[in-house]
Amino acid sequence: MTCQEAIAVLDDYLEVILGPDALASLEEHLRDCPPCVAYLNTYRRTREVAAGVNRVAMPEEMKERLRRFLIERLRASAP
Amino acid sequence: MPATQGAVATACYTRRVAETDSELLDRLRGGDALALETLMARYSDRVYRLAYSVTRNEADAEEVMQDVFLTVFRKHDTFEGRSALGSWIYRVTMNAALNRRRGKRTELETALDALLPTFKADGHREGDGDWVLADWSRTPERELLSEESRVAVNRAIDNLPEHYRSVLVLRDVDGLTNEQVAEIMGGSIALVKSRLHRARMALREQLTRHYLGMPA
Repeated sequence: MTCQEAIAVLDDYLEVILGPDALASLEEHLRDCPPCVAYLNTYRRTREVAAGVNRVAMPEEMKERLRRFLIERLRASAP
Repeated sequence: MPATQGAVATACYTRRVAETDSELLDRLRGGDALALETLMARYSDRVYRLAYSVTRNEADAEEVMQDVFLTVFRKHDTFEGRSALGSWIYRVTMNAALNRRRGKRTELETALDALLPTFKADGHREGDGDWVLADWSRTPERELLSEESRVAVNRAIDNLPEHYRSVLVLRDVDGLTNEQVAEIMGGSIALVKSRLHRARMALREQLTRHYLGMPA
């Protein structure tokens, strides 16, 4: 397995859905390839960092504006 | 608060929490506008994240939210119940956000291929030792998510094409399955998996440049 092939299956590796043969090949590759170990560590961490930054909530004042907007629209469309 | 009032408030709260989406839809069909508010409380943060992931702009995301919840109110009768209500709301959100972005897009997104790792003919990664061995994964959380780093991460996310950003949010933040994301975004599970992996790789390259102090 080359580095390119190893990196191509890292998502499946982290999802624990790699087949036994592919898993054995990847683990053998990782034993002898520090760059791919570094890649795997940082790939995994990237997922966490991106999730941390993207975990935004709708601002409270925006929720209140949305609530008022909807109430006005609903009243306007009431028979 | 008097005891009885507290009990009523608790009962209302329990009802709101326990009520299923389908029960809420029935109330909406019966003209109960409060049901819409309950749906808003249940879905607004998730809808906002998806809207923001596409538009990358608070004002546009807010207008998308208005479109989405008006659609839920006006067109809930067209929801056929074959999929979960949440999936339908996500689909409405995705369409509304893409429409808004198409109308206003001015910047040119970087082609994703330019952000992916590159390889030599023998399959090894290109770059010198410092680059290919760079491992910032043990950097403390407070540094990884410092204000300066957040700016860099957000810039890196901005560089991703919109469908890649949305897959990233739905999978890695909201924890949806590949199957659910494929249903929401329209496309195969293989396409979702491919976009997610490519998005993470593109971000990893950019974050590595940032944490190594290299120019973006």
